[in-house]
Amino acid sequence: MALESIRSTAVQKRTGYPAQWRSRIFAISALAIILIITIVVTLGVGSTDIPFGTILQILLAKLSISNVQPTWAANMEVIVFDIRLPRLLLAGLVGAALAVAGTTYQGLFRNPLADPYLIGVAQGAALGAVIGFMLPVSWQLGSIPLLAFIGAVSAAAMVYSIARVGKTLPMTTLILAGVAIGAFLAAITSYLMIASGDRLQGIISWLLGSFSLTSWWQVAAVTPYILIGTLVIWLLARPLNVMQLDEEQAQQLGINVEQVKLILLGAATLITAAAVCFCGIIGFVGIIIPHAMRLIWGPDHRFLLPLATLAGAIFLILADTAARTMLAPTEVPIGVITALLGAPFFLYLLRQKKRAVF
Amino acid sequence: MKKYMRISFYVVLALAVLLSIRCTPQVAPGNLVDGLDRQVTISTVPQRIVSLAPSNTEILFALGLGDKVVGVTEYCNYPDAAKDKPKIGGFSTVDIEKVVSLKPDLVLATKIHAKTVIPALENLGITVVALNPETLDDVLRSIALVGKITGQDQRASELVTELDGRIKHITDKTQNMSDEERPRVFYVTWHDPLMTAGQGTLSNNVITEAGGQNIASDITGDKTIDLETVINRDPQIIIVSVGMGTGEDIPWQYVMSESRLNNVRALIDSRVYKIDGDLIHRPGPRIVDALEKMALFIHPELFAQNKSGK
Repeated sequence: MALESIRSTAVQKRTGYPAQWRSRIFAISALAIILIITIVVTLGVGSTDIPFGTILQILLAKLSISNVQPTWAANMEVIVFDIRLPRLLLAGLVGAALAVAGTTYQGLFRNPLADPYLIGVAQGAALGAVIGFMLPVSWQLGSIPLLAFIGAVSAAAMVYSIARVGKTLPMTTLILAGVAIGAFLAAITSYLMIASGDRLQGIISWLLGSFSLTSWWQVAAVTPYILIGTLVIWLLARPLNVMQLDEEQAQQLGINVEQVKLILLGAATLITAAAVCFCGIIGFVGIIIPHAMRLIWGPDHRFLLPLATLAGAIFLILADTAARTMLAPTEVPIGVITALLGAPFFLYLLRQKKRAVF
Repeated sequence: MKKYMRISFYVVLALAVLLSIRCTPQVAPGNLVDGLDRQVTISTVPQRIVSLAPSNTEILFALGLGDKVVGVTEYCNYPDAAKDKPKIGGFSTVDIEKVVSLKPDLVLATKIHAKTVIPALENLGITVVALNPETLDDVLRSIALVGKITGQDQRASELVTELDGRIKHITDKTQNMSDEERPRVFYVTWHDPLMTAGQGTLSNNVITEAGGQNIASDITGDKTIDLETVINRDPQIIIVSVGMGTGEDIPWQYVMSESRLNNVRALIDSRVYKIDGDLIHRPGPRIVDALEKMALFIHPELFAQNKSGK
């Protein structure tokens, strides 16, 4: 399939855009518009009833687009602008990051089971966070996300250095090393959890993932990583396409396979680490969204990557909206929602298009 | 021969002493119903008691049974004497083997032990009584029950009378309050995620009896609550439980530093208070201390002269 699309691209290059491009470009624009609509609509949804007009007025006033005199309580402004908006944006960023990372890993490993957590990132982040929870309480506030990030990146680096054979990086070895290191780190995490006593509640909530309490500084902290990482991956979409053939053939076609692998792995790991460090391990997005996009619009990474970015963002914003409203005023862990919403939708897609994905 | 005479003399003496201990006016209570509505038969007055919860330990010590307690949990830190007792594991993670090795004739459990720990111990032939107090009245009933089982009826009824008097002192003034007279209280048990105690919790009962109105009364049990709801319900008083096990006050620091709460009435009026988590989360005699503190936080105009300090 990949090969086919590359060939057809090469052929069609002379004659202008192939027909399938048009539908994909249309899909990307449509998803971008849906994303914006999703953000605006979900901003109006929450445990507190705020009229939609008020929300728009608050936004306009905040963005100093128009000089609206506040007719709303100060707390309404806090709810819309300082609670819902940063939370939505972080959910969107994390969804985008996980979907892009998942697409990248699936492409690199040429394996449909690959997800952003394949090479130990999640287990590393979890261990880092749990160590953070074990620290004296007064050190915890800022250190948990930092330790989670460090844990995620170092776990991936460890897997990478173990799997490296000379100057090459066999993907099978990488997966196996990832599974082994992941299991090892998970064992340490489980042990620490047993020993954590009354801190267990906090740890479990973190592991299940949550966007509760998201504020602007967290959005600001992860945005650079996710933006730059995603951009780097987008730019390497072509080499990633070629690598779908075979590493040897890709090498012969003039691609520095080892270098591309390293950059893609690095970027995908970085954005995954940034995604999980504040909100915990959110499953399913990174595996379902790339597959869904591939099933619908084909495996060409030049389109697949932007499509997955947008769809991941939309999906996680919707999932988080469900998490905070389903049982309001109490919250449901978002990991529960992503699996609950994601799995049936994905199975539906599988049934619809009974053809090989890879 | 003389040697044997002497030994048998001591044996007889020891038996006599043992018998005389047995003859003290302690009557085994026989059949009773415990806090989980289980039928339990107590044939002899317990002499070796294991407590599976800090609250149970506090009740036992308050009834003067400290020297009969042979095992407690790692969290049993009150009174000081409880810290020196052998540990049988955590609250929910009970080491059954350790309990058995202490040869208890009574284990005092709670609701969280109902599914696994209690059946396991009973299969080993150990008598288990569970306490499950969910309100202040339940706590008094638990104390009376423990008194009955252990032959300390007299002491238990004195303690219950004293505690009941202190509770009435507060509830007499608060029970007929209208909703307007009851300030909106947000009770924080943890900050990340933000957690509170809703219907059916002892904390909710204490807040209500102290003349407050729990803003989370539409939630059942100990649950997360979203920040948006807290801000919208605009609590007039925020009470943060601190010192859960670790003795530190990070949830309180969170509430004080969360800028999004700045416009909430409680922060504008500087009415954010700390309460010791060990007092309010343990359904033992000290729950009445928690009630008195709560009453002071919520209605200083009524109770300030009677008790001092935070």
